[in-house]
Amino acid sequence: MNKIEQINKLIDEAIDSVDNIKRASPMPFLLTRINARLNKTNENVWEKMLLFIGRPAISIPALAMLIIINVLVIVFKGSDQFTTTTEQSAQADEFSYTVSTIYDIENTEP
Amino acid sequence: MNQSEELINKLKQGDQAGFTAFMDLYQDMVYNTAISMVQNADDADDITQEVFVQVFLSIHAFKGESKLSTWLYRITISKALDHEKKKNRKKRFGFVQSLFGGPDNEHLHPVDFNHPGVQLENKERAGELFKALKQLPEKQRIAFTLHKLEGQSHQEIAEIMKTSLYAIESLMGRAKANLKKVLYNYYHGRFSDQKKTHYE
Repeated sequence: MNKIEQINKLIDEAIDSVDNIKRASPMPFLLTRINARLNKTNENVWEKMLLFIGRPAISIPALAMLIIINVLVIVFKGSDQFTTTTEQSAQADEFSYTVSTIYDIENTEP
Repeated sequence: MNQSEELINKLKQGDQAGFTAFMDLYQDMVYNTAISMVQNADDADDITQEVFVQVFLSIHAFKGESKLSTWLYRITISKALDHEKKKNRKKRFGFVQSLFGGPDNEHLHPVDFNHPGVQLENKERAGELFKALKQLPEKQRIAFTLHKLEGQSHQEIAEIMKTSLYAIESLMGRAKANLKKVLYNYYHGRFSDQKKTHYE
């Protein structure tokens, strides 16, 4: 038998070596391990959410947005304060918003 | 209602006894596919667990358009491939770490694989075949593994891989040719080495 024939024989043997292969079995207590993993998955939902929120890509823009909104609210509210107050008092005068108490009604006579 | 339909209904209802019966029926199939793909018993065990967890969580997404075993094969193969990719990434990272004097990652460079189901007299040849299998392109490896190690017909493999029968036949042909090429180079090298040792 020459070298090439020998090599071809080995190749055929290698390819046929897995014929009639027996089934391998997983390690024992697979069901217990799967149940433990399932429980862990259920517990982890909140952890995952916290981790998601805690990611810099999410938390930094969220924080920046919060700061910007706060600054905008302070700036715009500050500039509108005078107008709002004067307008409010004018309206109160015009429509008599001042609430009359029970004492005002009862003590009509001086 | 046949057995698998009954099992699916029980699984959808979250029935624990149904899940146990389902596992008894399919655990060997999932484990053997995984071990043939990743060639590591611990990793295969891990993948088997992942597969059953995913089945439990996503059984409502199973519409029954394919056989339950086909769906399971798809999940197992996808998990096995993900596992390999993750391991390769770790290997690359481990290599970079080792360049900077990091910790050894010996567990990432496993020794030759011995399938526990191979007969003793075939162990050596089977080891060489598994080593050669690793060098095949992904699709050829999947087709060859499902056919030769899982005993699936070409038609069933076509359904699992969502492709045509013709494509599977072609994949199988290329897989065998490539395997022969890889094995030829391996044995040729070994013969040359033997010769060199003989003359020295």
